[in-house]
Amino acid sequence: MISQTTEGAPPSSPTGVVSRLPRPSLATLMPYLYVAVLAVAILFIEPALIDGPGAVDVRFSAVFPLAIVAFAQTLNLFTRGIDLSIGGTISVTTAILAVSGSVKGPDAYLELVGMLGLGIVIGAINGVVIAYSGLQPFLVTLATWTIWDGIALAVLPIEGGSVPAPATNLILGSVAGVPKSVLCMVALFVVWSWLRHTRFVRDLRAMGSDAERARLVGVRLFTRTVQCYAFSGGCAAIAGVWIAVQEASGSPTAGDEYILTSIAAVVIGGASIFGGTGSAAASMIGAIAYLMIPDLIAAINISSFWSVFLQGFLLIIAVTFSALVIRMRDRRTA
Amino acid sequence: MSALIDRGRRYRSTLIAYGLVLVLFIIGTVHSPDFAQWVNIRTLLVYGSFIGIIGFGQTLCILTGGIDLSVPWTLTGAAVLSSVLLNGSDANFVPVCLLVAGLAIVVGLVNGIGVAYVGVPPIIMTLGMNGALQGLLLVYTDGGISSSPPQGFVNVVTDQVLGVPVILLCWIVVAVIAIVVLSATAFGRRLYAVGTNASAAKLAGVRVQRVLLVPYIVSALGASLAGLLLMGFTGQAFLTMGDPYLFTGAVAVAVGGTSILGGSGHYVGTIAGALILTLVSALLPLFWTSAAGVEIADGLILLGAVYAAGRRARGAGPGRPRLSLPGLVARAKR
Repeated sequence: MISQTTEGAPPSSPTGVVSRLPRPSLATLMPYLYVAVLAVAILFIEPALIDGPGAVDVRFSAVFPLAIVAFAQTLNLFTRGIDLSIGGTISVTTAILAVSGSVKGPDAYLELVGMLGLGIVIGAINGVVIAYSGLQPFLVTLATWTIWDGIALAVLPIEGGSVPAPATNLILGSVAGVPKSVLCMVALFVVWSWLRHTRFVRDLRAMGSDAERARLVGVRLFTRTVQCYAFSGGCAAIAGVWIAVQEASGSPTAGDEYILTSIAAVVIGGASIFGGTGSAAASMIGAIAYLMIPDLIAAINISSFWSVFLQGFLLIIAVTFSALVIRMRDRRTA
Repeated sequence: MSALIDRGRRYRSTLIAYGLVLVLFIIGTVHSPDFAQWVNIRTLLVYGSFIGIIGFGQTLCILTGGIDLSVPWTLTGAAVLSSVLLNGSDANFVPVCLLVAGLAIVVGLVNGIGVAYVGVPPIIMTLGMNGALQGLLLVYTDGGISSSPPQGFVNVVTDQVLGVPVILLCWIVVAVIAIVVLSATAFGRRLYAVGTNASAAKLAGVRVQRVLLVPYIVSALGASLAGLLLMGFTGQAFLTMGDPYLFTGAVAVAVGGTSILGGSGHYVGTIAGALILTLVSALLPLFWTSAAGVEIADGLILLGAVYAAGRRARGAGPGRPRLSLPGLVARAKR
């Protein structure tokens, strides 16, 4: 990896920040390949897991919260940041929703909007602290994760509660025969196909690629950092609401498992944790691949504990592969 | 000149950390006079020992710009494996210990090879390793463990030598080794050189990749030692025993003033970090009776401690998001 110091001369034009980004390569196709291989394997062994009645709805309902936090985490990684506090945000929103089971009518919709607002505020606080203090996002969000997990514990000391009926009706079920979970997943991909061309995402990539150069070409680092983490908080709140509705109850630690899995999904999707590169769509595909592993294990009919091993193994394979691709590309261009 | 300034700053953040230890201790003593009794101090030091022993490897990893997130399941693995293999008898103690140490070296080597030779980001490599180990252990134990460690071993671990608990003695030995290695050996200087600027270190004749292997091996060995001691201390091995140690070691290192960007810091600071974390978790329940309050205060103190200790680790100025967990790859690419 030391040979990578022999990278080309810095681009002279300001737009060079963006044009320096790597071209699509074999690595970008890998997450799709993982999903394809897993899907073929499952279809071959136990097709009912994929084409059985309601199977798709069940799969997509389970994948959606991981997909949306992986989406947000991708943007954080663009800036070389990371957001561990999504765990706390998910826990808090899930907990609040679970203790408000008696809320009825329009108030319930108002509460959902309030949850989204809360998530955005939580994220914005992270962004302000990170941008203002210059501390590592890893450490800042580790601390705020603990704080919000504590608040979740105060709201809902033990697992349980019930979720307002209007929220359940809003998220569960199907529209014109298509499960809402599928529609929501499609919506995420549509949002990304729009977002990826916006100034916002270009700025985030530029910040992660070279913050100083990005500042010089006019990226407002403070604002963009706050916006990025606010977006992350909002996504985590949506995930929290989704989880509460799916479980029909809440848990003060509901979000903790999404912290490491969201990073895993992003990495399986091929994004670099060193900023600038990656695609939220690939990260969401990574999330799908990650959650297909338990299905494969169930299909093979061996101990479900193997899925934990295979998930870790897939992570190492994915990341080793992209590291090797980068090395080969650098050797070619050197 | 800049080296001198750097050294001065290094001492400053270490002093801040020890000042915090003192303040926390005084708060405890003021709140309840029993706090300053040797029995209580001894208990605190024993709890701190586990973090401190894990903190050695973690300090080395972080000094090179890496991190080891595979600590929890390496720790659990060492305890569970030895508990199962010993099966309540001291007969095979030495061979089992050698086997556990050998496996720890393998785990560390795989992590280190992935990071140093393949170029996988440390956070992802060790995260994947953690998952893979978790899976293997769950499969190995089938999700539960019933054997208990041999009584002779438990007696030794919970014993005292001249009034000093054996666990604390182990920490003292580890601490002496750590300080000597970092301050008085050629390897220590190479480690700082690699952490500060890998390319420059390579040009200066340091075999960078070989140096990068060591921290992960030390970390795995330290985690295994902590696992064995924790098994003796609690009188049993269980599958969640490593969970609290996912970020604890890294947080102790950061609170102790070591830059999470690598290259500066010392184990002397990590000792203070381990003591701060132990004191905080001992003090908080005295002031907040609810678990939620403890967790919220924990997060706030963590944020404050990291801010106080880590100001030096800032980026070029406010609003500049920096690498969350940089590895050599990004460093060398710059």
